[in-house]
Amino acid sequence: MRPAPPLLLLLPALVLLPLLIALPGLLHGGGWELIGQFGVAAVTPSLDPIVLQSLLAGLGVTVAMALLGWGLSLLGGLVLGLASSRTVWRTLSGQELPAQLIRRLLAVPRSIHELLWGLLLLQLLGLQPVVAVLAIAIPYAALVARVVSDLLDALPTANLEALRASGAPAPAALLTALGPPLLPGVLSYGGYRLECALRSATLLGVFGLGGLGTELKLTLQSLEFHELWSGLWVLLVVMLLLEAGVGQLRRRWSMPRRLALHQAGVGRRGREMVVALLALLPLLLGLGWILGVDPAALGHWQPLPGLGSGGWQAVLSLPWFQLVGGTLVLTALAAGLAVGLAPLQLLVAAPWPWLRRLVTCGWVLARLWPPPLTLLLLLFVLKPGVITAALALGLHNLGILGRLLRESLEDHNPAAQEALLAAGSGPRLALFYGGLSGVARSYLAYGAYRSDVMLRETVVVGLAGAVGLGSQMLESLSSFAWDQLAALVVVYALLTLAGEELSDRLRRRLLQRA
Amino acid sequence: MARPEPAVAAPLLELRQITVAGRDRPRLEALDLRIDCGERVALLGPSGAGKSTLLAVANGSLVADAGQLLWQGLPPARSARQRRRQQARIGTLWQDLRLIEELSVQQNLNAARLAHWGWPRALLNLLLPLETAACAEALLQMELDPALLPQPVTALSGGQRQRLAMARLLRQQPSLLLADEPLASLDPRLASQLLALLLRQAQAPRALVLSLHRPDLLVGFDRVIGLRQGRLLFDCAAAAVDGAWLRRLYGSEAAPL
Repeated sequence: MRPAPPLLLLLPALVLLPLLIALPGLLHGGGWELIGQFGVAAVTPSLDPIVLQSLLAGLGVTVAMALLGWGLSLLGGLVLGLASSRTVWRTLSGQELPAQLIRRLLAVPRSIHELLWGLLLLQLLGLQPVVAVLAIAIPYAALVARVVSDLLDALPTANLEALRASGAPAPAALLTALGPPLLPGVLSYGGYRLECALRSATLLGVFGLGGLGTELKLTLQSLEFHELWSGLWVLLVVMLLLEAGVGQLRRRWSMPRRLALHQAGVGRRGREMVVALLALLPLLLGLGWILGVDPAALGHWQPLPGLGSGGWQAVLSLPWFQLVGGTLVLTALAAGLAVGLAPLQLLVAAPWPWLRRLVTCGWVLARLWPPPLTLLLLLFVLKPGVITAALALGLHNLGILGRLLRESLEDHNPAAQEALLAAGSGPRLALFYGGLSGVARSYLAYGAYRSDVMLRETVVVGLAGAVGLGSQMLESLSSFAWDQLAALVVVYALLTLAGEELSDRLRRRLLQRA
Repeated sequence: MARPEPAVAAPLLELRQITVAGRDRPRLEALDLRIDCGERVALLGPSGAGKSTLLAVANGSLVADAGQLLWQGLPPARSARQRRRQQARIGTLWQDLRLIEELSVQQNLNAARLAHWGWPRALLNLLLPLETAACAEALLQMELDPALLPQPVTALSGGQRQRLAMARLLRQQPSLLLADEPLASLDPRLASQLLALLLRQAQAPRALVLSLHRPDLLVGFDRVIGLRQGRLLFDCAAAAVDGAWLRRLYGSEAAPL
């Protein structure tokens, strides 16, 4: 009695039941008026030129940080990806062991969220633009490296061996045989990473690293909702333009979608892709110059503030069990909410195109909002705690997963769904059986990956207080308890590594049967 | 249920002056057609004659630009619920079969009942084998082994898939069967076997409209309709169709007889 794929798709939504039951108990009367004001402000954003000017300046900083961090991560990720590819090592030196070692090592920077990198670097380097850039570049480079080496090692090597057998030197053979098929996959993933980088740069701003995020946080804290919405609309426009632009390039170069199960060959217009990549370099250098990123500043480390008293005894006395447990519960709730709600919303909206459009708009807003801002907003009416934090984290990821589900449904052949409609089933059941069946496995596989991301992201909703490792980390950081912080980072990294392994296995199992 | 009962004498399907616009010329032009209970109608015509368009209009998946469509004497209902009931009585065998690849044979067969099932049974069908007897019966009628029921659809051979799609059609219990070139991609022996099975199911009070492009398979049909460039070229008893008609239908191409 194994549930069929479309039913599997609805299982994560079961988490909604405990959430709905617990929600009324969490309400506090305080902030409904504020929520009302916030809602009204959405349609009456501030158009004050001074506000707009400072928002645009903030946006410029955020976009520049995102682009620079992204560019660096792409560069670093390519180099590190080559360095951790088994195929490359085997071709160049005849052994695979170094690839394995580098791959293991890269798991460490990958397991630490960019926010933690940002806050750590902030302590070391002081407040300057390079902090945000590096905070994005370090974990992203490790992520890109993993994808590049996975793509490389999954490519068939027959061409490579043929070239080697005909006497081509190893580097030339590698470039010729593996370069063209690798490029579209890397660029497609790179485009997706650019969207992530913009979200990350905004998020880092919320935690004080400058740019639009900082403006948003300040306006929210001072309850200037009209100015807040001006910033949000600006961010929305940029985000939609970016998503549309990346989608356009993806189609033009016929690159695989993120959910694509099979590599779609070498793509088209390979030369154009290379030129576009090369054109990025001067753009990034120019941006760095405008932003005032000073590589020399990387050499000036600040001495860390002295340790508080307590030492390792205090570290051991932390409530580790509750911290880890809280983090896991938070992840599970947020993941269930994000993965389960998207198909449910599509099903409910199936008979009415206008409602479907409304749901899609909701998703855009959800992924636009940095989770800590959603959290602050939720705290107007909800008590702090793990459920409130899970709502903030889950809603943000719902926006990302929802978009993915919609895209893959659009790519899926609608014939089965149309056949069911023609035979008289209702639009909901037709979508459920005919549409969702086909995308269920790949969507859930992506959901497994996304849950792993959410585990890493729990730190960004640590503001909600007492919700696992994230909150404790922020607390230790602000009290300069470096020993605690180090222990927390290690435990957190171990946890995310285990989560990554688990989600990888789940994903492989889901895709195998597809 | 305040649905007016159709008159007994009403034809299963009636098209009046149906026109569907196309890019260069209409895909269907002022087409009149009436299908009564018990009729087995072959729809002939060269590629692009409008056979698929005609069937799509007939099963309600394509709305005509002009003209009137009547199912058992009634136009498509305005209320979504009643319209679904009407459409549930029309079964379509698609050229690409349109099986749901991720589900088992039994789940696919039961998918034909979704018009009548609510959510509880639709969900349960994805977990448990429902209405096994009826599903086995449908398979047997198409000469398939009921042991296939728990198999995934992807495990079936091409011929088995074709039969499964036909069994699913029966499981829907339609009164009008429409088939869009179901025999196009089959070898001749299999094609005539499956056609015989399909014709056997299309007894009164049912009716069958089947489009095909092989005039050698007309045996067993009562009536033949020739369609050319979106217009009705002939509509006569199957016995009356001869080479001259077919040559006119297929233009300069020699009709294989």
